[in-house]
Amino acid sequence: MSFVSVNIESGSETPVKLTRRALAKQRTRERVLSAARQLFSERGYEGATIRDIAQAAGMSTGAVFASFSDKSELFDEILTADYEVIYAQMKQAARDGENVADALIGLFGVAYSFHLEQLPLLQASIAVSWTRSDAAEKRARGDIKHLFALINDALERGVKAGELKADVNTKLVAEIAWDVYVANYRRAVFDGWTVENLVAHLREQLTLILAGARA
Amino acid sequence: MGVRDEQKQATRERVLEAARDLFNETGYEETTIRAIAERAGVSVGSVFTTFASKAEVLSHVMQRRLGDLYAEFDRVLPFLRGTTADRLCSIFAIHYEFETRRVRLFLAHIAASYSPTNDPGVTPYGRNEHLADMLEMVLRDGVGRGDVRPDLDFALTVEVLKACYASNYRLAAAQGADAATMSAAMDRQIGLIASGWRPRL
Repeated sequence: MSFVSVNIESGSETPVKLTRRALAKQRTRERVLSAARQLFSERGYEGATIRDIAQAAGMSTGAVFASFSDKSELFDEILTADYEVIYAQMKQAARDGENVADALIGLFGVAYSFHLEQLPLLQASIAVSWTRSDAAEKRARGDIKHLFALINDALERGVKAGELKADVNTKLVAEIAWDVYVANYRRAVFDGWTVENLVAHLREQLTLILAGARA
Repeated sequence: MGVRDEQKQATRERVLEAARDLFNETGYEETTIRAIAERAGVSVGSVFTTFASKAEVLSHVMQRRLGDLYAEFDRVLPFLRGTTADRLCSIFAIHYEFETRRVRLFLAHIAASYSPTNDPGVTPYGRNEHLADMLEMVLRDGVGRGDVRPDLDFALTVEVLKACYASNYRLAAAQGADAATMSAAMDRQIGLIASGWRPRL
């Protein structure tokens, strides 16, 4: 599976009628985003300053601030772009699953494959999500809400198919599934687990979580 | 212990105490080693002779804190009553109550467990054997009580519980939730997982 960041390849969707000025502005944004992505991956969120990012992009800090109001906006834009890249694939993977566990494994597996390719960036984003302000939390919640809807859909389908009990609290199951999905990234960080390791482990965890919900 | 060692130990204690307070008051990222040294009344150099990095300081602050907590748990654990789920709910409720006294410190600890820069001297959240052992013991005892099936994967169950436990701190991070709110969330999660570990009739 190939994951190309929309940050880097957004040129193809550029409307033709952009003025030269607007085009230049967009190129600046792209250069900043690509430099920022690199630095956040290498140094984490706190470790990369706007000054570093500007320098890496070959421009002044003023030019960076002309495109982004602050570092957190820059960071959010990178994460949202990534999220947009994988959302459709996660959705498809969930649809392809023949039962609840396969649907969930499918959608989380897409996320594991994508994020393991750029693990340091994911680590930075999780670390930030624990300590950053309301703005970060709101953005994250907006993205996560869509993912939770996917998880919920998969569970609801399981209820309809008679695989899960009719009165199962799908929201609660989704919450626990999400918790273990995120926690498992530590295995990738500290123990060098591969996507296959993570997916196999998540499958066991889901079996355990779903045990009480099965019809 | 020689005079030198005693001094070294005293410096260590002072640094850990100053760091604990600063991390909680001003935040982990915002706290510099210099600020810790100043608060502790020691030189920046002497902080670095004891700890390799700020991440290591945080790790040691947490280890010491949790050491005290678990010593207490060893004493109260035999007095827990109720079903296996009840006992686990109590254990986590005590944790939430304890950690919310210095919640920013704990949030920094969880955040650090995903940090892109890992130090060898750091024990990240999730690697605390004491908590895992305690939870596993309560679950295993549940087999004797008759409310846990013997073929349960105990280690995996402990892992899932720990993931829920940590994740609930998001309620504190995002909404300033108190210990009772997080405990209530944990109770629900334990309830659902417990419905899967009961012996099959």
